[in-house]
Amino acid sequence: MRAAQPLARAVGVTRAFYRRGRFLGRSVPVMALRGVDVEVQRAETVGVVGESGCGKSTLGRVMLGLLAPTEGQVLFDGEDLAQQTQAHLRTLRRRMQMVFQDPYGSLDPRRTVGAQIGDGIVIHRLAAGVEVAERVALLLRQVGLNPADAGRLPHEFSGGQRQRIAVARALATAPEFIVADEPVSALDVSIQAQVVNLLADLRADLGLALLFISHDLHVVRHLCDRLVVMYLGRVMEEGPASEIFAAPVHPYTRALLAATPSLRHRAAPVPLMGEVPSIASPPTGCVFRTRCPMAQPDCAETVPTLQTLKGTGDRRIACLRAEEIAT
Amino acid sequence: MNGLRLRSLAVPGLLAAAILLLALAAPMLPLADPVRQDVARRLAGPSAAHLLGQDEYGRDVLSRILWGARVSLAVAFTATALAATLGTALGILGGYFRGVIELLTVRAAEIVLCFPPLLLALLVVTLMGPGTGTLIFSLAILFTPGFARVAYAETLSVRALDYVTAQQALGAPTRRILARTLLPNIAPPLIVQFSLTVASAMVLESGLSFLGLGVVPPSPSWGLMIRGARTTMEQAPLLLLWPCLALAGAVLVLNLLCDRLRDVLDPRGRSTGSPGFLRKLAALPPAPVESVPLLRVEGLTLQVKGRHGSVTLVRDAGFSVGRGETVAVVGESGSGKTLTVLAVMGLLPAAVVPVAGRILFTGRDGHVRDLLRLPEAQMRALRGRDLAMVFQDPSSSLNPLLRIGDQVAESLRAHGAKSSESVVPLLRQVGLPDPERQAQAYPHEVSGGQRQRAMIAAAIANHPRLLLADEPTTALDVTVQAQILSLLTDLKRAEGGMGMVFVTHNLAVVSDIADRVVVMYAGEVVEEGPVADVFAAPRHPYTAALLASVPEGGAERLAAIRGTVPQPLDMPAGCRFAPRCERAIEICREVAPALVEVSLVRRSRCVRWKELV
Amino acid sequence: MLAYAARRLLLSAGLVWVVASLVFLVIHLIPGDPAELLLSQGGIAPDPAAVDELRHRLGLNLPLWEQYASYMGALLRGDFGLSLLDEHPIADEIALRLPRTLELIIAAALISLAFGMPLGVAAALQAGGLLDRLLSGAAALALSIPVFVVGTLAVLVLAQELKLVSAGGYVPFARDPGRHIVLLLMPAGTIAVGLGAVVFRVMRSSVLEVLERDHVRAAQARGLSAAGIIRRHVVRNALTPVVTVVALHLGTLLGGTVLVEFVFNWPGLSGYLVRAVEARDYPEVMGIVLVISTLFVLLNFVVDLLYAVIDPRVRHA
Repeated sequence: MRAAQPLARAVGVTRAFYRRGRFLGRSVPVMALRGVDVEVQRAETVGVVGESGCGKSTLGRVMLGLLAPTEGQVLFDGEDLAQQTQAHLRTLRRRMQMVFQDPYGSLDPRRTVGAQIGDGIVIHRLAAGVEVAERVALLLRQVGLNPADAGRLPHEFSGGQRQRIAVARALATAPEFIVADEPVSALDVSIQAQVVNLLADLRADLGLALLFISHDLHVVRHLCDRLVVMYLGRVMEEGPASEIFAAPVHPYTRALLAATPSLRHRAAPVPLMGEVPSIASPPTGCVFRTRCPMAQPDCAETVPTLQTLKGTGDRRIACLRAEEIAT
Repeated sequence: MNGLRLRSLAVPGLLAAAILLLALAAPMLPLADPVRQDVARRLAGPSAAHLLGQDEYGRDVLSRILWGARVSLAVAFTATALAATLGTALGILGGYFRGVIELLTVRAAEIVLCFPPLLLALLVVTLMGPGTGTLIFSLAILFTPGFARVAYAETLSVRALDYVTAQQALGAPTRRILARTLLPNIAPPLIVQFSLTVASAMVLESGLSFLGLGVVPPSPSWGLMIRGARTTMEQAPLLLLWPCLALAGAVLVLNLLCDRLRDVLDPRGRSTGSPGFLRKLAALPPAPVESVPLLRVEGLTLQVKGRHGSVTLVRDAGFSVGRGETVAVVGESGSGKTLTVLAVMGLLPAAVVPVAGRILFTGRDGHVRDLLRLPEAQMRALRGRDLAMVFQDPSSSLNPLLRIGDQVAESLRAHGAKSSESVVPLLRQVGLPDPERQAQAYPHEVSGGQRQRAMIAAAIANHPRLLLADEPTTALDVTVQAQILSLLTDLKRAEGGMGMVFVTHNLAVVSDIADRVVVMYAGEVVEEGPVADVFAAPRHPYTAALLASVPEGGAERLAAIRGTVPQPLDMPAGCRFAPRCERAIEICREVAPALVEVSLVRRSRCVRWKELV
Repeated sequence: MLAYAARRLLLSAGLVWVVASLVFLVIHLIPGDPAELLLSQGGIAPDPAAVDELRHRLGLNLPLWEQYASYMGALLRGDFGLSLLDEHPIADEIALRLPRTLELIIAAALISLAFGMPLGVAAALQAGGLLDRLLSGAAALALSIPVFVVGTLAVLVLAQELKLVSAGGYVPFARDPGRHIVLLLMPAGTIAVGLGAVVFRVMRSSVLEVLERDHVRAAQARGLSAAGIIRRHVVRNALTPVVTVVALHLGTLLGGTVLVEFVFNWPGLSGYLVRAVEARDYPEVMGIVLVISTLFVLLNFVVDLLYAVIDPRVRHA
């Protein structure tokens, strides 16, 4: 059974971006997230998957309070991020960190990697003087790099090494929760495995809670305890990763799994028609219905909400025909 | 690299320093008083006492030019420094905080840009009367929006970068982010803007003085001197020349310095020399041509000629494609897979030259040609007809300014078709919905998958014998990738006998689409064979490790390959995979292995292939 | 497209209004009294009676908003007021001189584009070659010589030393078309030296950048001829930055016209402006600045339309 108070939690989060209004043009809200509920327990890894425009990166930033939700709440350890003073928010920030997709853009090209890893320690006054350098050395060793590298600039490292540095920077404040936004997508296959292993080890050693955002289902399946499947800003299906992979219910989840090429079996021929509609003008009712092979007339009318699947403890699906499909 | 670029700064830098020094030292040099008149000797030519002669009031010209530099530079530097400080502050605040603050800072400063610069200066002069103070004030106003714009644009782009978000995630105070992270990263274009502005300030100052509305006589100023000499042009034309030379020379030096600074500090948009658009045939020793079923690449070696000698990017690459066969070329970044197919198309970047090998291709006419040695005119006739290519990113591979139908029609017209009536059927064939309308659409009006369908339509327009596809699904979503893969499979069936080379980094896609696979690593083919055989029992440790590192096995830990891909500049002497190989022995580190036949249909570049089961 | 044009036109109208208001405010809000400033040349305190009289004549004794209303009202009727010096209607003088300045600008722009664009393409195609290095060097030099220096030297060499042309002046087209054009070419050519170099540089670097783009390689893969690719896929795509940079230089170009008209005695707006500034004739300066700034705003409007003509993405935005 899941604990009553998750470490990080989004409740009914909606996030709108306003496309900049041109002269005399109205600005249109684009809903990147709509009514999203996600929770991450301590020491748990939650994977977020979906295609472009599904809002998974926005979700990661909202969970860390880097973007404010337009509606809904984001709670960290029971505290609503929107209600905190600047000072208290900063102390909360020490406890949650982020690892980015692009190992080239996520490090400041003009400062040594040691200085960047040490930033968190200095900002939060976790150590001072020589002790900062000692901690940086320790962190570099922890992510499998040479402590002597602290004085070098980011461009002297390969993509995989940079991603390790980014992980070390996130670990510097000894956080309890890390959002990893596509941390291995920009890496070659052979390097990808190194970073995935590093994250898996750190999670085990440090008891980290991880929100792992990815479009690669194989990596997510390998790493995650729970899975959140998103489409056009909404959660389609959510539950234990192993159960979803074994028996996906939502037509979108099923299509996504079928479309993912595998070494073992050939991908199903054309699992889905068409492409993801523009997030600026999503379909009415169920956002997936325009591509859904099982859509029926009332899918255009009713917005399906996440419902717990009968007979399971914690699998939730946003589909009018979920029960019908599951049986 | 950096050192060389810094050295390019030396000449203009030294010249600029010399000008600055001369101006600074003018009071200490043994010069005549620049304002002392000697009307008796007006317009006198050069003499020992007056090296450049005397002007219309008999004042020493050389002295006036050096003192003029002082005035000019002082005005230009002070005004620019004021504008830079104010403009940068406004730009950073506006760019970082956006919203109302942006309106109050950057947009407010931009009102100045509604006026042509010289005109605004004249307006200020009307109000305040001519003089050095007015000049500095009006130039500072004029140049502030320029700095605000540059700082604003740079702040916007840097602010969106992940390392700034990372600072915010760390809980860094805004002041610290602005000072430590933002300012250093937007500094280079601001420095360029500074030197650019000093030059324009000098030009404007001299222009105003020339009109008699800038520096007030008798202070020496180049603009005033030109104005004065114009009236006596007929008696003493040389008097006009000296200040003109001084002004143009100083501006030239500053402009040169600015160009070089831009190259060093702000390398975006810097041209990298020859574009290689007008193709030249590489000089290669002749090679015999023999009959092949469709395509055979042999011993292909590609180099980049650099300052430190040549760097080999692809070494001894070879594979073949039969009629109707799909061959996947798979490898990580830097493996040379894309260069290899570009060599087949004859579309290598200008810096990359083939130095050895053959690319034998049987065209539709049954003739075999060596594509590496084929003159451009004949190569062009093959491109888009016998040989066609689909690229990775459909959004950049279509010209945004031309309609989709027109771009597909180009393929037909380039090879003799008179009409473009088969465009719509082609678009229908690649599964574009509503092809009549889509033909009239511009690329930005359709989705990524549909753009790739249009690219494929243009590629198959002339029923090519061989289709080269370079990561055609990498930029697309998974569900769209599946659609494109099945489209390619269907097309191959429809275009009986069309061969396909499919470049990818995704092993799972290989097993989906290809008959045979060519595995490349660090510029070499390490293994080749039927997909099922290679994936079931790889005969090269790299293939084996790559397959094992794919997170599909359900293993507790992934089998990662240690280390990183070697850079082209320091390739290992022996087997290129040896430093990362679990099975490497002494000989692997010393001798580069050859590609050997493992069976009739398989080859491997590993000396220990027999031990791999 | 029409909606886009209408939006831009409205924006331009707004800008003209901002410019007009700004000119008004600058003159009236600056510390000190314009009437006093005007009469106090040489630092001698003016006669209070004369100041009063002038204030009355200029309407400076009215409340600010009333002055603003009557100023704007007059502008809308095309009335710029009377010159302080000779009481001549300013609008008449501007109407006489504006076409001459426009003619000069258009001639200069055409010459610059005619030389700059093809040479830019040619240099880019052989980047790093001899032709490119020669042209780029010449452009760097041309960019460094201020426009009034080019003009002055042109007069010195062509008119005085070589006696090829006269040193400047103006003959109406109707009286002697040939001579009119010869006299036009000198100042227009002078402006075109710098502007042409700008066009050349942008065209060169823009073409170089476009040549590297994927869609050019894709066009080659379709088997198009080099000439066809340059025409359809390179030049047109390279135009947008050229338009942008030329637009950025419009202000400098208009300013340069002031200097060049002065050098060649071309009786456009600039001689009038310089005289007005020297005499501190406020109504005149305001009128001319307003007209040239409006011209500037309108030219930028034309540039915005050009973007839309070149790029369908702008049309549909």
